[in-house]
Amino acid sequence: MSPVIRILSGAALLLGLLARPAAAETVNLMSFPVLFQERYTKAVIAPFEKANPGIKVSYFGLPSSAQMLGTLRAQKAAPQVDVVIMDLAVSKAGTDEGLLAKLDEAEIPNMKDLVPEARRPELAGVGVTFDNLVLLTNTDLVKERPDSWYALRDKAYAGRVAIPAMPDIVGLSLTVILDKAEGGQDPLKDVDKGIAALGTIAPGVQTWDPRPEVYAPIVSGQAAIGAGWNARAQLNHDISGGKLAAVLPKEGSVFQANTINLTANSPNAAAAKKFIDYALSAEAQKAFTEEMFYAPSNAKARAAVSPEAIDRTALKYTDRMIPLDWIAMAGRRDAILEQWRRRVIPLSR
Amino acid sequence: MTAALAVPPPDMPNPARLPAGPALLAAIVAVNLLGFVAPVLNLLRLSFLKVEAIGTLRQTFDLSSWHAILTDGFYAGLLADSVLTCTLITGLTLVLSYPVALLIHRCRGTVRTLLLVMVVTPLLTSAVVRTYGWVALLYDQGLVNGVLMALGMSAPLRLMFNTVGVVIGLTEILMPYMILSLLAGFGRLDPRCEEAAQTLGAPPWRIFLRVVLPLTLPGIALGCLLTFVLALSSFITPKLLGGGRVFLLATEIYDQAMVTLNWPLAAALSIVILAMFGLALVLYGRLVRRIG
Repeated sequence: MSPVIRILSGAALLLGLLARPAAAETVNLMSFPVLFQERYTKAVIAPFEKANPGIKVSYFGLPSSAQMLGTLRAQKAAPQVDVVIMDLAVSKAGTDEGLLAKLDEAEIPNMKDLVPEARRPELAGVGVTFDNLVLLTNTDLVKERPDSWYALRDKAYAGRVAIPAMPDIVGLSLTVILDKAEGGQDPLKDVDKGIAALGTIAPGVQTWDPRPEVYAPIVSGQAAIGAGWNARAQLNHDISGGKLAAVLPKEGSVFQANTINLTANSPNAAAAKKFIDYALSAEAQKAFTEEMFYAPSNAKARAAVSPEAIDRTALKYTDRMIPLDWIAMAGRRDAILEQWRRRVIPLSR
Repeated sequence: MTAALAVPPPDMPNPARLPAGPALLAAIVAVNLLGFVAPVLNLLRLSFLKVEAIGTLRQTFDLSSWHAILTDGFYAGLLADSVLTCTLITGLTLVLSYPVALLIHRCRGTVRTLLLVMVVTPLLTSAVVRTYGWVALLYDQGLVNGVLMALGMSAPLRLMFNTVGVVIGLTEILMPYMILSLLAGFGRLDPRCEEAAQTLGAPPWRIFLRVVLPLTLPGIALGCLLTFVLALSSFITPKLLGGGRVFLLATEIYDQAMVTLNWPLAAALSIVILAMFGLALVLYGRLVRRIG
């Protein structure tokens, strides 16, 4: 190759590189870190980026929905985040404060396939994943898999029970489940029966504030039994080589939803809407359920998920699920928290 | 000699009257205004905002956070518990740190350096790691209970997930601060005073009570102030070792801000904790003046 041709071809290559369309837009997604981030990136973000080479999704992980809301509040004047996946109740606060933009079915066609529970008129966003409360056990310490929430008060596990107390929503969910099991009629009116049942569990509780999450102390055997969320329990089951088991007890459980939201005045709204539409598609939801065992919010995805994955989500036991309106329940939260502090936690000292 | 040095020679200009004086001061004033005064004022403003049950923040004036703190017995109890627990931690830290500080003060050369390094080394590790270290030692199957059970105890002692665990963890974590403060305040402790007392026939306990202790009071006051303030504001250790049973101001602020989303209440509690710090500083100032 002569030097002239070499220089010309070099210049052509350089021009070609410069002329190549750069990643035109970046969608900044804020959601939960570590496991959720890893699995969501694999199941949803990577296929989306492959199908849309002009759009890059940048993931920003924060440990709690409250911290995400704090970030949105701080950036209200100049949002840096385009899409946020957060707890449903927190997204209600974000909607009310005008931090989130209402999603429109005309722009996000996959919304039409969502189950009705995923679409609440009072929310700007829509449900993207459903999780449910499960009974957690350490398989070495609890040989026979229990089928009831009342295993939490079994004398055999006294001093080795881990339950994230209220204000954590695990505590609130458990109150509602036990209230129903004890014959309570409407948790929005009172949960006295649930609080009384928690009082019988309290003396055996080791910690009301398991750290870093409830799963680690149970996997390590520091605690034997507890309550937590299904998706993370299923993952921890796999990661720990089966040390952690998750059971959906016969008394039932409650759903908890995460919503996907577009931030108000998102700087990359067009690409963000495209991403939200993909995240709600049957394809993405099926992939994420099979990856992390959250129940999908897309009805078509529910039909398409593999039976093995279905068995590890609450979809197998929809008849056991207790309906709970988290938005209405938020109004009762302070009163129930007070009962926890007066009538439950003191019994465990 | 030192007094002579403290008076500037007549031809040296007063630094406060230098043209650059206010400019030099402006930097620290600006840092303080931006980094401390403005955020505190913002917290104060936040504490008077309205919050709805679900956590929605409204930009309207509302007194309910302050009303809750002043009328709800839970918060009075929280304040009393926090002060009591932190006073206990401060007392224990002082009792455990004082002999160490005295020993270091009396050592010279390599031994002194070695001891000082041993005191400072834990500060190079984060409080989170040290707290997890305590979890490994204190839990039911941990080292301490393992030894006790081997010695014939029938059931493990509850050493964590309660106030005991928080007190043990914080006492150890705050000891380096106490030791360093004590050492800084031991300047007046002259061995010749002790020798004088000894030659006059005072027994060791009297020398300690009448000579050593009064001379080291400035160090004790400084160490106690610092430890109390750090204990009251510490959050990680009570969170990890308290097991959700120990309610302290700092952990409650976290719960209100990060879980319940009640930012106004969290802000109001932060102002309360700041007022406690102010009170501790005033007490310290008075004590130091009295000692002086």
